[in-house]
Amino acid sequence: MAKIRKILVANRGEIAVRVMRTCKELGIATVAVYSEADRSALHVRTADQAFLVGPPPSRESYLVQERILEAARKAGADAIHPGYGFLSENASFVRACEKAGITFIGPPASAMDAMGEKTRARQNMIKAGVPVVPGTAEPIATVEEARAYAEKIGVPVMLKAAGGGGGKGMRKVERLEDFESAWRAAKSEAMNAFGNDAVYIEKYLEKPHHVEIQVFADQYGNTIHLNERECSAQRRHQKVVEETPSPILTAEMRAKMGEVAVKAAKAVGYVGAGTVEFLVDVHRNFYFLEMNTRLQVEHPVTEWVTGLDLVAWQIKVAEGEKLPYTEAPTPNGHSIEVRIYAEDPARNFMPSPGRISYLRVPGGPYLRDDSGVFPGYTVPNFYDPMISKLSVWAPTRREAIERARRALGEYVVKGITTNVRYLKGILSHPEFIAGDYDTSFLTREHETLQGKEDPQLTEAALLASVVYAYQRDQKRAKTLTQTPSGGGKGGISAWRLSSRRR
Amino acid sequence: MRYFAKLQGQKEAVPVDIEPAGENRFKLTHNGKTFIVDALTLDHGAVSMLVDGTSYGVEFDEQGDEVHVLVRGQVTRIDVADERRLRLRAGTTGFSAQGKQVIAAPMPGKVVKVLVKLGDEVKEGQGLVVVEAMKMENELKSPKAGKVVELPAKEGTAVEINAKLVVVE
Repeated sequence: MAKIRKILVANRGEIAVRVMRTCKELGIATVAVYSEADRSALHVRTADQAFLVGPPPSRESYLVQERILEAARKAGADAIHPGYGFLSENASFVRACEKAGITFIGPPASAMDAMGEKTRARQNMIKAGVPVVPGTAEPIATVEEARAYAEKIGVPVMLKAAGGGGGKGMRKVERLEDFESAWRAAKSEAMNAFGNDAVYIEKYLEKPHHVEIQVFADQYGNTIHLNERECSAQRRHQKVVEETPSPILTAEMRAKMGEVAVKAAKAVGYVGAGTVEFLVDVHRNFYFLEMNTRLQVEHPVTEWVTGLDLVAWQIKVAEGEKLPYTEAPTPNGHSIEVRIYAEDPARNFMPSPGRISYLRVPGGPYLRDDSGVFPGYTVPNFYDPMISKLSVWAPTRREAIERARRALGEYVVKGITTNVRYLKGILSHPEFIAGDYDTSFLTREHETLQGKEDPQLTEAALLASVVYAYQRDQKRAKTLTQTPSGGGKGGISAWRLSSRRR
Repeated sequence: MRYFAKLQGQKEAVPVDIEPAGENRFKLTHNGKTFIVDALTLDHGAVSMLVDGTSYGVEFDEQGDEVHVLVRGQVTRIDVADERRLRLRAGTTGFSAQGKQVIAAPMPGKVVKVLVKLGDEVKEGQGLVVVEAMKMENELKSPKAGKVVELPAKEGTAVEINAKLVVVE
């Protein structure tokens, strides 16, 4: 197969920038696509070429296959990298790329078909002898049937979207009385996220850990795993903190789960980067949850402990190269990633879109910030509110936690509210530090994670705010007395002051 | 000069007196205590503050009437004004949740559900309206007990930031 010369990245935000960075390092030209809301976005400037693909809503831009392919044709791109979300797990898009003679950097459409529809994936895994979470064999058509099933297997149950993962279209039902509204909500969210409102049901396991295995396969059937990631720090089924190695996995569990993950990938003829997600219950039994047939958000932690560039591997596999490893590398050290969201944890995580007036990103040893934002950027309200991923590496878990906390202390974002302090709260919480935290951790400990007020710091803030206000007012008074029409009289300048404040 | 600083969540503002005391130096009196502060203002709303040898890197982020003050990882929201500005603001709901409370859209989005009717009696913390933005739903709650006296919010309509949704009195 020929070397890839130009890649169109069919995505936006931090992942688009991240993929383009590797392309540049490999000497591959880059093409960006953007919606009307993203004209000022960083990924547009990072790329060599950029094309408008539609109005702000994703359904009218980033998800419109014809426009993406048209941009690829116009640019002369020979490959498309889909990032994560959007079209990354869309088999019809893979086929459309094939038809257009453009290499899709990812698995074949058949693998996506086998794993992308979540109930079919479960059926395939059962056939392959992989343990799965008990649940329905297919999406359920009516709310009556669904409720009857839930009653049969017993609450709590999880309602899940059949058309995609990433936590969208998921609802936990703890009481049968809440079933109908949860069903409606899950279906509507699934429709929004995937254009497909099919929902199925799984038994909810108590105190589960979400542990996933990174797999990689080349076009010759060589399939390996690259160890695990612990992703149990979740809120509303969105991951917030990820780490590797998982503090609860023994070497034996790692080997067993890795073997099962490779089996799952091989069973569907997988090619490229993929992730097999498992739930580990309180007895340390593990169950297949789903396979994500794409690169995941949290891949940097795997890159840290293996020293690999997974995007570079994706490209090389797409070019027809063989995997350089025949078995999983031993992980080196410990890595933690935190996701920085434009939201306010103190106000029920209300999204906080707006203009970033100032940004200072942490520095120092063994630290990485993957972001798509910059000072002056207005975070749009059409897309996911994640603005960056901060990941660190250290020789031990304890040091990695200290490093991540130190780095978060350096992070300054002004103009919008972010969850930086909340993230620090997570990394300081005894349950996280002890290492055995399940998927209920963040919700359960919500109040504690908001952090306690330090009265000494509050006093320092109070004094500082008065100094700040005083200096600001002095500066304004000086400016006013310098303007020809401004008066020194109280009345006029007071009006000026008040109108400036607005 | 006297300033009044109200911390978020508190009902009353505290007075703080400030006098210049040399280059970058200020004498501050708060709660009966006096501090000599060396405060160097840097660009972008940052101050390097030295108080008795303790060093604080302080970041300010003005958000409407409040300034968010970041010190050593803690964010304190403070409404700080001198006497003149306070007089200007008397009459609007500056400091307390008395009188009419306007619940406005905190961000641009869409009203997906209106949970109350005009004339309803509501409790403090009761959900009034659900707004969707960034693919997530948020329920806006009443800041006080009272009656819904205005209800411009309509299900299914898009709203701009600060659009008036509900008024509770």
